[in-house]
Amino acid sequence: MDLTQAKPSAPQTPSSLRHTDLLQLREVSKTYVTDGEPVHALNGVSFTLGAGDFVALVGRSGCGKSTLLNLSGAMDFPTTGQVLLDGVSTSELDDNGLTRLRRGKVGFIFQAFQLLNTLSVLENVELPLLLAGESKTAQRAGHNLQLVELADLGNRMPHQLSGGQMQRVAIARAMVHDPKLLLADEPTGNLDTQTGNMILDLLRRIANQQKTAVLMATHSMEAANIADAVVRMRDGRIEEVIRR
Amino acid sequence: MMSRLRVFYRLIVRPLYREPARTLLTVLAVALGVAVVLAIELAGDAAAGSFRSSIETLTGSANLEVTAVGGVPDNVVATLATLPYPIKVEPRIDDFATIPSTGQSIPLVGLDLIADHPEGFSLPEEERAGTSSLAQTLTADNVWVSSRLGAKPGDTLRLLINDEVHPYTVRGVLKDSGDTGGLVLMDIGTAQRALNRANRVDRILITVSATPSLEQWEQRLRSVLPAGVELRRQGSESSENRKMLSAFRWNLRILSYVALVVGAFLIFNTISVSVVRRRPEIGIARALGASRTAVLSAFLGEAACFGAVGGLIGIFLGRLLAIGAVRLLGATVDNLYVSSTPAPIQLTPLVILLGLAIGVAVSLASAASPAREASLVSPVEAMARGEREYTTRVHKIRDLWIGFALAIAGAAASFAAAIAGKPFFGYAAALLFIAASAFSIPALVSGLTKISSGMLLRIGGVEAMLASRSLASSLRRTSVLVGALATAIAMTTSVGIMVGSFRQTVQVWMNNQLKADLFVAPATNPSADRHPTIDVSLSEKLAALPGVAGVDRFREYEVSYQGLPAILGVGDTLGPHPLGKVEFFSGRSTEQVNHELRDGDNVIISEPLANKHHLRTGESIVLPLGDAQVRFRIIDIFYDYGTEKGFMIIDRTRALRYLHDPAVSNLAIYVAPGADVEKVRKELESVAAGHNLVIYTNRSLRAQAIQIFDRTFAITYALEVVAVIVAVIGIAGAMLALVIDRRRELGLLRFLGAAVSQIRKLILVEAGLIGLLANIAGLALGIVLSLLLIFVINKQSFGWTIRFHWPIAVLLGALTLVYVATVLAGFYPARVATSLNPIEVVHEE
Repeated sequence: MDLTQAKPSAPQTPSSLRHTDLLQLREVSKTYVTDGEPVHALNGVSFTLGAGDFVALVGRSGCGKSTLLNLSGAMDFPTTGQVLLDGVSTSELDDNGLTRLRRGKVGFIFQAFQLLNTLSVLENVELPLLLAGESKTAQRAGHNLQLVELADLGNRMPHQLSGGQMQRVAIARAMVHDPKLLLADEPTGNLDTQTGNMILDLLRRIANQQKTAVLMATHSMEAANIADAVVRMRDGRIEEVIRR
Repeated sequence: MMSRLRVFYRLIVRPLYREPARTLLTVLAVALGVAVVLAIELAGDAAAGSFRSSIETLTGSANLEVTAVGGVPDNVVATLATLPYPIKVEPRIDDFATIPSTGQSIPLVGLDLIADHPEGFSLPEEERAGTSSLAQTLTADNVWVSSRLGAKPGDTLRLLINDEVHPYTVRGVLKDSGDTGGLVLMDIGTAQRALNRANRVDRILITVSATPSLEQWEQRLRSVLPAGVELRRQGSESSENRKMLSAFRWNLRILSYVALVVGAFLIFNTISVSVVRRRPEIGIARALGASRTAVLSAFLGEAACFGAVGGLIGIFLGRLLAIGAVRLLGATVDNLYVSSTPAPIQLTPLVILLGLAIGVAVSLASAASPAREASLVSPVEAMARGEREYTTRVHKIRDLWIGFALAIAGAAASFAAAIAGKPFFGYAAALLFIAASAFSIPALVSGLTKISSGMLLRIGGVEAMLASRSLASSLRRTSVLVGALATAIAMTTSVGIMVGSFRQTVQVWMNNQLKADLFVAPATNPSADRHPTIDVSLSEKLAALPGVAGVDRFREYEVSYQGLPAILGVGDTLGPHPLGKVEFFSGRSTEQVNHELRDGDNVIISEPLANKHHLRTGESIVLPLGDAQVRFRIIDIFYDYGTEKGFMIIDRTRALRYLHDPAVSNLAIYVAPGADVEKVRKELESVAAGHNLVIYTNRSLRAQAIQIFDRTFAITYALEVVAVIVAVIGIAGAMLALVIDRRRELGLLRFLGAAVSQIRKLILVEAGLIGLLANIAGLALGIVLSLLLIFVINKQSFGWTIRFHWPIAVLLGALTLVYVATVLAGFYPARVATSLNPIEVVHEE
């Protein structure tokens, strides 16, 4: 793949898919105020992602990976700059608009799986569809469980699953509404190497086969190696983009 | 010690500051519970304690008294006064007068002022100057009034006594004694004239020396007294009244504990939440060397803090609530039992201690179980495993069996008899049923949420499904909340059904009993132990009016029967509808019973009297009448809801053989067929001009009775409302805790596409589901408790037969209100839930 070399102040784009522009971050900064002191979580980050791209974000804790994921997933507004998700600027939307955008275009997976213990596996997967008021939810959830090879565990409760199974359920849930962008925050952080690799293969397959853009934050360079490009972050800035 | 306190502060007290709203709501729940109990106690003391003042006004050092039905003959005074013993004999008239301009009723005391001057009594200037003779001054229409009445010497004071208004001249002002609401003193001769009690006094007070003993004095004096008078110890009337009021106060007291029980549920919940949340901290503290006892003490200490602060607030809140409560209670005591003027509410150190003790004790008792669980936490397990596994430990099937066993025990207890007139087993049965319901609620919640989950998804959307799952997953917490609210609802429902049934029974009874078209009574303030009279000649004049078909005369006397007050009724047993249309236990007609009443020394008694004294048809009662002790045979028992004291009714003609006073207390007038009731009423008014009477139509009398009924039960409704408020406050606090504990899940839902409005809906549906479950459980328990109240507690306390009736509108209204209040209680927690930052809460764990 042809990736543009890293320039901290310039837009960084996985070049082969540049024309699709599914996600664009333009000079994005995010400042939090903690105990009256401003904390700059992101500082002038520009970044573009297209359909089917698999990009890994790496860097130390506190470098801004999670903030970048949250802004990309329309969970938060940038302090300055612009985040365009499928051509829609998140700053121009109200809370309901952000919710609709997330429902249609974004799926999330987390390090701690974040399944609801009160719901069965199938119900967990069904949940985003139900929240969006969609129809044939059980059927679609069942189909997605098949994709992650857990169709026969639909009636189990989350605590009856292994860590790898839980993360696969989380992936099935994140993909159930066919999002264009999948955001994964340390998806292998709580898993052993073998299981972690299985999850990474699954994410890779999703990017390749469904043309879903995957943006994954990770501490592990081993995990990052599966991506098309690795974006190294430091102190809220993009330090380097490594193409593969 | 200091170091322990420091640890307690850091680990237990400081976290409370982090959730000020929830801490405040828990404290408020305890405060309201304590406040209600204290308010009823304080108001009960003020309202019930004050009747003493009117009876014991100016009694001095007297230790014995002589009384008789219809008054003690004058010659008894002479007999006692001429005995060769060193005793002081004071004849006395005790009644009430009404100030027509204000409607205020005040005790009227007639004393032999020539022989006896009460403390503070002074003669007017002209008497002291010798310009007027003492006898003239005392026997003229002069009165001495207590300073509280605000009259000055020389003022004219108009007093309504029986059915006539008399002008009196104020000759002096007496110092107020104790907590009386005012007093009018006149010479005994003047009082006898005013009250038409020639040759009779109401009581004779006797002061005897310390030796020989009081028992010996009683023996000596009884031997010279006629059979028809009673000699008893001074103050026994007060103690009889106190005894009579005790059932009323007991039941009120028990009702006041409901809010406290609901508060106890909520303390249990608060401490349970506290234990669950701090499980890892408990583990760490245990690993760092804290003993089991230290952990137990810490959580009990937390509960004690809630109890102490809640108790302190409750004391002052209770004092405020008592002001309203004493007004309601005072009116009830006055209308149903005995004349009373509410005494000042006294917040004594003992009451303050009681408030604190109640708050702390209830909190400690409620916290005992969760605190014990905390102390049993294994450090390794607590640090290794999360809260989830812990919270699911509810043994619902075992608890359901316990609930079943408790319900069986409750049913068994409901069949036991009263002890000393108090339905202790009835109360125990109520408690057992409440406990049974508390134990059964986890199974109910679990079962219903499981069954309804799919349906809720279809009806209420994904938010309803999530809400129901969340409730089922935190079964223990949900069950406690549902239990608290269900208990409050059950008490409200049961009292609603009981009062509704009672009201309906009274209405049916009045429709049967009150057959006359018009009722005439003196226009004094109504009170249960005052029986002012109407001149008998007036009844004859009224009976002679062309539109009047007949007049029934009825006279009431306050009597004492076996140490308890009762009313002796003397009525006409001939006429169009003598004694109305009474329903008898035997099923006989009123005519048949009246015939038998005229036939000999026979009496009919009311159901409450029969139950109170365990009297049956065929047995006899002995009444001191006139100069004799007369034995009356009970020929039947009738249903009566007019007075809890109980009625005994004898024929007027027969009564006049013993009691030589033909005056009547009220008249029932039957209008001739075809005559216009309103026209007849106007004619009655013109004939009765000069007499201060009130003429009720049949309808207005019934309306007034129902008004008194409703006022009587207003306080019970108020108590239930407070219990529901406590429960709703608890729901708000617990929902808040639920939101805080589930913030990760709520944040995650936002990541998964939930809108803010969906989060709000989720919390409100959760509150609504708690309300719904509590309504179902509360209604079921309420019906059981209402049966207990009607057929056990009420029957054993007051002796009334109440026919069960469903007050559907009241029930529906109450349940809807509670439901709406519960949903409203979810608003603040919902606001908190929607303002959570999903990014922060999802990543913080």
